Amino acid sequence: MEGLKGMNIATGRHWSHLFSRALVLLAAFAVICLPVPAPAAQDCRFCHDEPLYRVDFNKSIHAGNGCTSCHVGITDIEKHRDGKEKPAPVDCGSCHQEIAKEYRNNFHYIQEDFRCSDCHRNIHAIRQDKDRNVKLAIIEKCTECHGNADYTTSGHGEAVLKGNQDAATCSDCHGLHNTRVFHTSLERYPAEAREFYTQKCKRCHADSAMMKRNNLSDKMVAYYESTYHGKVQELGYPAPVAGCGDCHTKHNILPKEDPRSSIYPDNLEANCGRCHAGFHSRFLSYQAHPDYTDRAKYPALYVTFLFMGALLIGTLAFFWVHTILWWRKVYWEHDRMEREGIVPPSVLATGEGLQQVERFSVKYRIMHVLLVLSFFTLVLTGFPLKYAGTEWAATLTRLWGGAHMAGLFHRGAAFLLIVGMTYVTFESLQFLFPRGEGKKGWLGRLLGPDSLFPNLKDLQDFKSMIRWFFNKGEPPKFDRWTYWEKFDFLAVFWGMFAIGGSGILLWKPEWSSYLVPGWVMNIAALVHSEEALLAALFIFTIHFFNTHFIPNKFPMDRLIFTGTYRLEELKEQRPLEYERLIAEGRLESMKREHPSIPLKLISATFGLGSLLLGLFLTVTIMWSILFG
Amino acid sequence: MLVLLVALAACAKPQEPAPPWRVIDASTLRAMMASDKELPVFNTMSELECRDHRIPGTRCLACEDVENNPSILPPDKGRDIVFYCESAGCYRSCRAAGAAVKAGYRQVYVLQGGMPAWKQSGYTMETIERIPRGSIQSIRAAALKQMLAERKDLLLVDVRSEYLYKEEHIEGAVNIPMHRFSSSYAEIPLDRTLVLIDDRGFRTFLAGSYLEMKGYRVMRLFGGMEAWQEMQEKKQ
Repeated sequence: MEGLKGMNIATGRHWSHLFSRALVLLAAFAVICLPVPAPAAQDCRFCHDEPLYRVDFNKSIHAGNGCTSCHVGITDIEKHRDGKEKPAPVDCGSCHQEIAKEYRNNFHYIQEDFRCSDCHRNIHAIRQDKDRNVKLAIIEKCTECHGNADYTTSGHGEAVLKGNQDAATCSDCHGLHNTRVFHTSLERYPAEAREFYTQKCKRCHADSAMMKRNNLSDKMVAYYESTYHGKVQELGYPAPVAGCGDCHTKHNILPKEDPRSSIYPDNLEANCGRCHAGFHSRFLSYQAHPDYTDRAKYPALYVTFLFMGALLIGTLAFFWVHTILWWRKVYWEHDRMEREGIVPPSVLATGEGLQQVERFSVKYRIMHVLLVLSFFTLVLTGFPLKYAGTEWAATLTRLWGGAHMAGLFHRGAAFLLIVGMTYVTFESLQFLFPRGEGKKGWLGRLLGPDSLFPNLKDLQDFKSMIRWFFNKGEPPKFDRWTYWEKFDFLAVFWGMFAIGGSGILLWKPEWSSYLVPGWVMNIAALVHSEEALLAALFIFTIHFFNTHFIPNKFPMDRLIFTGTYRLEELKEQRPLEYERLIAEGRLESMKREHPSIPLKLISATFGLGSLLLGLFLTVTIMWSILFG
Repeated sequence: MLVLLVALAACAKPQEPAPPWRVIDASTLRAMMASDKELPVFNTMSELECRDHRIPGTRCLACEDVENNPSILPPDKGRDIVFYCESAGCYRSCRAAGAAVKAGYRQVYVLQGGMPAWKQSGYTMETIERIPRGSIQSIRAAALKQMLAERKDLLLVDVRSEYLYKEEHIEGAVNIPMHRFSSSYAEIPLDRTLVLIDDRGFRTFLAGSYLEMKGYRVMRLFGGMEAWQEMQEKKQ
């Protein structure tokens, strides 16, 4: 029994020992592994007993959170009380994640290390107030440091202060938690700043409903985008052109009737003078937001707009109809000849008929190549500006090396064209008034068969062509120049007057203001743009068809590059010229060697390349007109 | 084609000579600090600014102090040594870095983009002694000029380095450089309204907040000396 008792006692001691050990282990486990309950709010308020924490916090928007929701890291309230344990910095981003993400790029954080509570100072008492004027509250907050009197007395600021909820408060332009600052030291000014703020202005000022509510025009953005300033900006190169803030200033934005406004008539000279130098005061009549359709306000622009539209539509419609009828006739004729087994004599030419005769001398061939090169350069550098909002325009401009480089190439090509046209004018005068003969017989030469000036025969030829299109007669017999070739030639002269003249005015508008008032620049821009469209579409559709795509020449006529064609082709295409050459005994002197293989290869490559590029540009332009 | 190539070649920018230190980005610096816990990384702003916010685990060593006395740098000249500063331009670290290179340090790095780049990468900052942000009004250069003509109680305090102050300063301005600010601010009389002036307007806000905390009435020049000089040039 003793033993048993002793054993029992021993066993009892053993169990009690084990139990006490288990308790110690459990306590240790609890200390190490189980979370220590965070101090309750009442524990915190035992020391932090200011009314702010006891009263205001309970009414605040954050009242549902305990103190330790934000002030994390306190494991022992006694240690904290003794100053041995401090809470970790408050991380508002643990709940407000999106704002924290935005705030990472906020200027105030990046440069001045502002934290949330630096603006939200009353964070413990902040309440939700649906009736609060947030726009006003933002102004009050920002102007604590940014005492911008300009803004608070400007149109926007004044409107916000009067309760207008559409007017821009600080954060509408500068951002709230993602405030950006563009500073000269960051080397991204002014390009990025101009782009950024102009987009901000556009966002509201193109909003029809908002503008209507505020009795403002919602078209101002569209009008701006139709100008050189707007187009270069839209193309993605805002650095060299005026954005909204450049003329309307950044904060002192007032209507033009207000003498304090930057666009008040008396202030315009200084305003424009910040970018433009050396202009005459009449430069200031330039319209930065022109409306071509406003007959009452801009009569000259309106008339120009109508004239250019009619010229564009009229010319293209006339020649497109001409082209379609011509193509129909030739295609049907080809079909008939194919069915009947008839082959054109020029194809079957033998002997003398194979002899190559010159139509274009080396000089004119080179001039045409230069014309092609300058024309394409002008189109490829100018049209991205015309259709500035499109993707292809931005890509093309990047390929040129930016808007500035594209502008330089544009001017270079224009210079080449002007030099070429000056030479042609000189040659035309020489043709009319040859050395030794003076004015004698100039009218005869002007209206003669070697002249590119239209005459009565052209009218008859045109009538014959139309009759031929409708199977009512034979095609006309042409001399050296057909009427459409003469039109091509003279159209370039008109084009040079319209595009070249307007282009020269726009080249240096400040200097041009000594010749014409600023509003003429608006007209020049419109004429330059519309005439360029007409020229490009005319060349790429009508000239290309008349000369290259017509079925008997498709895909191209290399004549302008090689300079010669068969005698049989001369007889077939220009019988009157052939007869003249025979009669005048000049045919012998026109005979040339067959063009070399390298010349033919180069001609085909350059010619086809140009044709394909032209067609590609036509599709691109048409796409931009219809869907751009 | 030849003409085009020549034209393009003429437009190409001339290449700037490479600096004698190596430039690293924020993630590289972070990796370097993780692999070398003792890596000397120096914040080259003033002590006041550095203690307010700095990259965790880095040390405060004002640029001017390094320039004046490079021997305060760690003695091992073959060891990696990194400098960074507040602005994206970061020329302060570069000047400290230049002084280190000149003093014979061979592995000198500069954090590209400075603290802004670090922050924008989403990395945390460290605060030793935070200066409560005040409401420091900034005034434009033109407004300051007008105020100087009208008010006599203004005191211009130029917080730039001594040599910049000597090069050019606004008439009447006293020089208390940022790197001596916490020890020298008490020289400023309390009964004047201060206008703080720095290089570009980035540093006076914190200096102003510090002074406001100490009981001063403070304003700051928007855009710093750069804005003042620009205004003067425009007037000419």
